[in-house]
Amino acid sequence: MLRTLVRLATAAILACAPVAGPAMAQDAPAAEVTPGGALNMIVQPEPPMLIVGLNTQGPTLYVAGQIYQSLLTYDASLNPLPQLAKSWEVSEDGLTYTFSLQEGVKWHDGEPFTSADVVFAATEFLVDAHPRWRLIAEAYVESVTAPDDLTVVFKMKKPFSAFLYGFELSSFPIMPKHIYQGTDYRTNPANSTPIGTGPFKFKEWQRGSFIHLVRNEDYWKDGKPYLDELYFRVIPDAASRSIAFEQGTVDVLRGGDVEGFAIRTLTALPGVESTTAGWEYFSPQMFIQPNLRLEVFADRNIRKAMYHALDRDFIVNAIFFGQGKAARGPFSATTMFHDPDLQQYPFDMDLAKKLVAESGIDLSKHPIRLMGLPYGSTWDRLAEYVKQQLEELGFVVTIQAVDAGGWLQNIGSFNFDLAFNFLYQFGHPAQGVSRNYYSDNIVQGTHAGNNQAYANPEVDALFTKAADAVNQEDAAAAYTQVQEILAEDVPLLWTFDMQNTTIYRDKVKNLVRTAIGLNEPMDDVWIAK
Amino acid sequence: MQNLKRFSQNYGAVLGLVILGLIIAMALAAPLLFPGNPWRTVAMPLLRPMENPDFLLGTDMLGRDIAAGIAHGAKVSLLIGVVSTLVAVLIGVSIGALAGFYGGRVDDLLMRFTEFFQIIPAFAMAVVLVAIFSPNIVSITLAIAVVSWPGVARLVRAEFLSLREREFVQAAIVIGQSGPRIIMTQVLPNAISPIIVTASLMVATAILTESALSFLGLGDRNMMSWGFMIGAARTMLREAWWMSFFPGLAILLAVLAINLIGEGINDLMNPHLRGRKK
Amino acid sequence: MLSFTLQRIGKAVVVIIGVIILNFLLIKLAPGDPAAILAGEAGSGDPQYLENLRAQFGLDRPVPVQLWNYLSGVLTGDLGFSYRNQVPVLSLILERLPATLLLTGAAFAFSLATGVLFGVMAARYRGSALDSIITTLALVFYATPLFWIALMSVLLFSINLGWLPPFDMETIGAGYTGWRRALDIAHHLILPAVTLGLFYTAVYTRLTRASMLEVMGLDFVKTARAKGVPNKRIIRRHVLRNAVLPVFTFASMQAGQLVGGAILTETVFAWPGIGRLMFDALMQRDYPVLLGVFLVTAIVVVIVNFIADLLYRIVDPRIGIA
Repeated sequence: MLRTLVRLATAAILACAPVAGPAMAQDAPAAEVTPGGALNMIVQPEPPMLIVGLNTQGPTLYVAGQIYQSLLTYDASLNPLPQLAKSWEVSEDGLTYTFSLQEGVKWHDGEPFTSADVVFAATEFLVDAHPRWRLIAEAYVESVTAPDDLTVVFKMKKPFSAFLYGFELSSFPIMPKHIYQGTDYRTNPANSTPIGTGPFKFKEWQRGSFIHLVRNEDYWKDGKPYLDELYFRVIPDAASRSIAFEQGTVDVLRGGDVEGFAIRTLTALPGVESTTAGWEYFSPQMFIQPNLRLEVFADRNIRKAMYHALDRDFIVNAIFFGQGKAARGPFSATTMFHDPDLQQYPFDMDLAKKLVAESGIDLSKHPIRLMGLPYGSTWDRLAEYVKQQLEELGFVVTIQAVDAGGWLQNIGSFNFDLAFNFLYQFGHPAQGVSRNYYSDNIVQGTHAGNNQAYANPEVDALFTKAADAVNQEDAAAAYTQVQEILAEDVPLLWTFDMQNTTIYRDKVKNLVRTAIGLNEPMDDVWIAK
Repeated sequence: MQNLKRFSQNYGAVLGLVILGLIIAMALAAPLLFPGNPWRTVAMPLLRPMENPDFLLGTDMLGRDIAAGIAHGAKVSLLIGVVSTLVAVLIGVSIGALAGFYGGRVDDLLMRFTEFFQIIPAFAMAVVLVAIFSPNIVSITLAIAVVSWPGVARLVRAEFLSLREREFVQAAIVIGQSGPRIIMTQVLPNAISPIIVTASLMVATAILTESALSFLGLGDRNMMSWGFMIGAARTMLREAWWMSFFPGLAILLAVLAINLIGEGINDLMNPHLRGRKK
Repeated sequence: MLSFTLQRIGKAVVVIIGVIILNFLLIKLAPGDPAAILAGEAGSGDPQYLENLRAQFGLDRPVPVQLWNYLSGVLTGDLGFSYRNQVPVLSLILERLPATLLLTGAAFAFSLATGVLFGVMAARYRGSALDSIITTLALVFYATPLFWIALMSVLLFSINLGWLPPFDMETIGAGYTGWRRALDIAHHLILPAVTLGLFYTAVYTRLTRASMLEVMGLDFVKTARAKGVPNKRIIRRHVLRNAVLPVFTFASMQAGQLVGGAILTETVFAWPGIGRLMFDALMQRDYPVLLGVFLVTAIVVVIVNFIADLLYRIVDPRIGIA
């Protein structure tokens, strides 16, 4: 509760008073820094493209985060920090947001970066190509204007309490107007040579092999970046990736690059450090999604029984090798407004069986398909475990083997019984949580909507009330209430808050500094000689 | 009788027969040897072999008994091997027989059709078929059959082309027997031995293909097979070698045994070509 | 020879068009809408976005029209546009093709050379301990899953012994040029090429041995032997040539199969070839790329078979030109 209050207070200050963004904390003393050198990383899987305005998947963001930038970034407690915006002001009524831009910023091709680029992104490029920005823009944004070259003003139709939390790279990437305006963004020939404002420039991409970025000599932060080169290597096999780190071919492993057990071995090596920080903004939460259209899952007691039948500590510790924490509700523990005091469903097979017996439903008459996530052996083990537990409860379970394409297809067309899924919560519930429960978000073609078909008018109303609140305390009250309802309804089986471990050699300094972790421009990163 | 004696003198073939016999016995006895579901967690995860006498081959990352998996997996691996071969032989013999017996236009058309399938690398085709029709035991078996029949078709066609010219077939044609009848009663029985030899080798290849598909994550998630076990264990190769070693050994032994038997049959049926492969 | 060549080319074109149509229809049969998958990955469910994607990819037109468009595109050298990468398929494939040709070519040469060598040795010293060892090893490698050998050899030669690089095609960022680079690539090539080739080494060893034994039993060899020609000379002058030729032909017919194996090898060794491109495209339902890889593979296979045929005819003029 205390943590929430502190966060609320900070958020309230930021939202109500004109505040200049705080300076970047703890720059290493210049004397120690040894500039130069190449940093080797792995990008897994190989991204389809680097145009972050058109594709915001993890691998794309990881590489493109060094090329493109956004207006803001966030610290580990999700307070906004300056990036291309030097400072910002929010009017008292929450209807006007004014951003002042950094001076002397240039695109990689030498063109100046101005407020016109931001307006182009906000009103043209992203409205067309970015799924999340479009929804926000349509619902809340009245106009975006550029009174001068270094100022951008967003006028709102109505207040949106999460607005300031949607300006990092994955939510609001700024694309060069002089290259894209008036073209077909997807087929623009310039897509093969990305042009951004970031600390590193695109040099070469040998598909299937590596992506090579080099230092941007004209970067807008003087004397930075420290590194000369970045290599993002493509190594499709997980075991090979862990060998690559062990042998020193790469110096950094991003969360998900290697399997859980390898994390244990690798972090035990001498000269290796690790951190789970740098994912606070994304706060990925894994959940098991029952299709509520099925009669058996429509029964709330059956859902509760299933929840009780899963030993989520075993899942985290034995299957995911400690990479996570059992979830305590619909909001990840690192998402804003998380309520730690919700109703809990601990592992209790007897209670689970009792709930089933009371429901009077014969589970064996409702055979179900379990669709796991196609992301490697750990997820396969989870599917095998869940199948075992549910069969003990009385279900007849078939695991549906799907590849990534098949998974998206099935979940997006509601063709599933019980599915594994995980979603980024993007710091703020209005960005990344409510989309799972809004009854008007039961839409096909996405894995990130209300695919289970949960409909509760009270929940809809509370989420809207919280999002539209001017005052953060009103938002907090509504969010607490909605979490309580959801915890009682169990429309999803929130399984665990995923943790991602970044592993790196200790000679790599300043690697993870913000809530977006490795997607942050590495302009402060240096390698000790 | 004499055949049997000659076969028993081929030590390789006898060895193959013994190994295969043991594997089949293991598959059949699996429910008795390892009662219950091989997917169950029965012990501590990652027990080494011999560490606990109850689990001679160790356990995997979820504490499942490797030995139980191998015994239960034998059934699935052999089944996929045999069924896919039967289907492939059925398609291959039908197409090869029609092409070889009727020749001319029919032959041209059918062989061109066969070429379409041959030109694409078999494994690549199998991967695509399984992925597209979502991996389960039926799609895997059929995919392996679809990529293996062209070999049979070509073989049968060649046999039929030469057998068709023989007197007894010509005689049957002259006395007005129907085409299908001649194929079934006169030609096919005389072409059966090379088909059997090829088929035995195909069973072995099918088991290997299934394991390779599983390795790429295209196995049936509900069936414990050897390929699945290796696929599941491969990322932990360095931490737990036994998880992939024993199923790998099982595949090796089964495929070896079937090959040895196939060669034994081959030697038996073509005594003048001892040692020749095809 | 010219008319033979022309005839073969004509036949090849028919086969390749057949392959295209077959694959195209297969993919149309497949459940899964690429546009829905792409939209899903982008996190967008809205129907307008889906419609735009479908229109952009031409998926909104009837299947025969799509097939016709694709075929006429192929005939003018346009293999379409990758859904995901937003890059022409042809350039994607051409970028990756050399790596696969190098890998499969090396594996082919390796397996043929070692296979023939071991086969000849086994046949020459038939019944000896050497023969038993070679035959047994051939049987074992014939029965061992390729990916298993790949993983084990990485463990042994890269991790324990540290002799060979475990993955990649060259040292990235080393900036080698000329001979230095060629050596570097060769060094990286050893493990993948050998593991990919071992299965075929086993096949060719057995084939060569059998073929040698068969020829050694033929009348002209017996005659030569009766005439007192030294054994070594018989083997070299008479047996080898007649025995090895069918192995060569069989091997070139099988060359295309190496591409299938390359999917596994390229995955384990991070080799940037078309085997992996195909697998990735399949997983992402990037059908134009998948079709393109199949088409290019088919063309390569047809060319290899054609060359093999031609060589065979030149070496062995007894075969008439059909």
